[in-house]
Amino acid sequence: MTIPAPTVRVLVCGTADRGDDGAALSAIAHVLPSLEPAICQRLEIRRCPQLDATDLIDVSPDEACLVLDTVVGVTAGEVVELSLEALVGSATIAPRSSHALPIQQVLGIAEAVRGGLPAGRFLGIGGKWFGFGSTRSRAVREGMPAYERAVRAAIAGLAGVVAIVA
Amino acid sequence: MHTSDLRFMVQNLTRVEGEGSLHLLVRDGAVAEARLQIFEAPRYFEALVVGRTPDEVLDIVSRICGICPVAYQMSAVHAFEDLFGVTVDPATRALRRLLYCAEWIESHALHIYLLHAPDFLGYPSAVELAKDHRQLVADGLRLKQIGNQLLALLGGRAIHPVSVRVGGWSRAPRQAALRSLRPALGEALHLAQATVDVALGLTPPVFEREPRLVTLHHPREYPMNEGRIVSNDGLALAPQSWGEAFHEVQVPWSNALQARGADGLPYLLGPAARIVLDHDQLHPLAREALDASGALESIRRNPYRSIVARAVELVQAAADAIDIVDAYVPPAQARVAWAPHPGIAAWATEAPRGLLFHRYEVGEDGRIAAATIVPPTSQNQAAIEADIAAFAPRILDQPIDVATHSLEQLIRSYDPCISCATHFLDLSVQHEVLA
Repeated sequence: MTIPAPTVRVLVCGTADRGDDGAALSAIAHVLPSLEPAICQRLEIRRCPQLDATDLIDVSPDEACLVLDTVVGVTAGEVVELSLEALVGSATIAPRSSHALPIQQVLGIAEAVRGGLPAGRFLGIGGKWFGFGSTRSRAVREGMPAYERAVRAAIAGLAGVVAIVA
Repeated sequence: MHTSDLRFMVQNLTRVEGEGSLHLLVRDGAVAEARLQIFEAPRYFEALVVGRTPDEVLDIVSRICGICPVAYQMSAVHAFEDLFGVTVDPATRALRRLLYCAEWIESHALHIYLLHAPDFLGYPSAVELAKDHRQLVADGLRLKQIGNQLLALLGGRAIHPVSVRVGGWSRAPRQAALRSLRPALGEALHLAQATVDVALGLTPPVFEREPRLVTLHHPREYPMNEGRIVSNDGLALAPQSWGEAFHEVQVPWSNALQARGADGLPYLLGPAARIVLDHDQLHPLAREALDASGALESIRRNPYRSIVARAVELVQAAADAIDIVDAYVPPAQARVAWAPHPGIAAWATEAPRGLLFHRYEVGEDGRIAAATIVPPTSQNQAAIEADIAAFAPRILDQPIDVATHSLEQLIRSYDPCISCATHFLDLSVQHEVLA
């Protein structure tokens, strides 16, 4: 039996021990069991606490990318979906740390080295609490069902699959 | 008499870690003040560890920095083991050195390729550099990735590792797991050797001075976790005794304490200090790269040449890592038993940016009663200010953007980690003309 090559690389960002920062990890943990095996076989799940250019550079031309993370700057619990191209062009917040490259530079480097960004989407949920050891905020807990639906839909869309298991 | 001021600001100086600003006062054409202003609020880590157990301290202090968390864990764990009389398995000792090698690889690769190289090649950032020098940036990213992979294998995760424990490890890696990284480390060594050539090809601005250099020195190996604190003017101290020769001072313009020698003078830590004072202990492959470069003297005198020192240390870390992996046999016990007792735990290790000193007072209950953490960047602040003051007169007659870039490049030469020291650099230059 030949296992099909993955067609969607899911990059799950964040850390579970920092409150709302673990939202993407929680979402993918809930979504995966609900997906049909045929879709799961097409996925490569990669955990990346902090999105790195190398996570994007080796995405093959026939593979798409889904980046999941918690975001700031929007209402906590709100689901945000952008194309990767739109993310590159989004307004920059002055980086608090340039050793951890800002998202625009991570994507910009990947685009330059790879010769273009992979096809893909960014899916985020607005966060509120990011303290070490803190639990997820009520707003994010309430927003998780919508976020998980959006993750399912994005995976299905990127995998080129119309029918999904809800 | 009247005074006219000329100010210019650079907002959001990037490619340094953290937030700070540089204020330069030029009076009658001479630099009157060069102040590295670190305004990031104090982060209170020294208070956060009070009341915690030694093992908890290891996880807390690693959070001080996302780039050099291993350094914080290493200084702390060696301090506690020294106080408690813990003797670890030789394999544990080797694994800790391997963990440090991984951090040096990812930190130095990041700084050389993504933070500092754009300065030399005339690009505002690594993004623009990557458009014209795709392979160069790809090589840097690959090196960083290999460092991170090794960190993740040993530490449980690449950032803020969680496996280091007093007495050893929460879990020692299996031999097969470690050897699976052997091909990648071979690739890292090859890329590191090429990095030395890349760094040598970067033309530094003309600037020389005679800094006081301080580092650890170990008689048989390039310093990381062990050795005596030495300087190029004869200092030789035990790693617990940093406070006998150095002290911290508060300056009004910085939320980070500055460190100075007993004579009140600045000193410089980091790759250049290590290469100059410890080159005899380099791995043969790193020594070969250094000798072939012919850059030892310029590394000592010209701060912009620190990029070559970092490149040689990439070879050092990769070659050292390969030797450790090849010889690795898991420790009989991942963690040896120990018991806390009251006293002073103190130790210094070599973080990527230089000597990192920790001192803890352990109470009768085995918990931390007080802590002092002296990061390399806070120790380097005064030396950075001195170098800026010495260099600035050379570029003040240049166009503002050119002068500003030169100063930014100089600051980046020290790879400052302002977050460690307490984060952003705004540059303000004030010209006062007295007439």
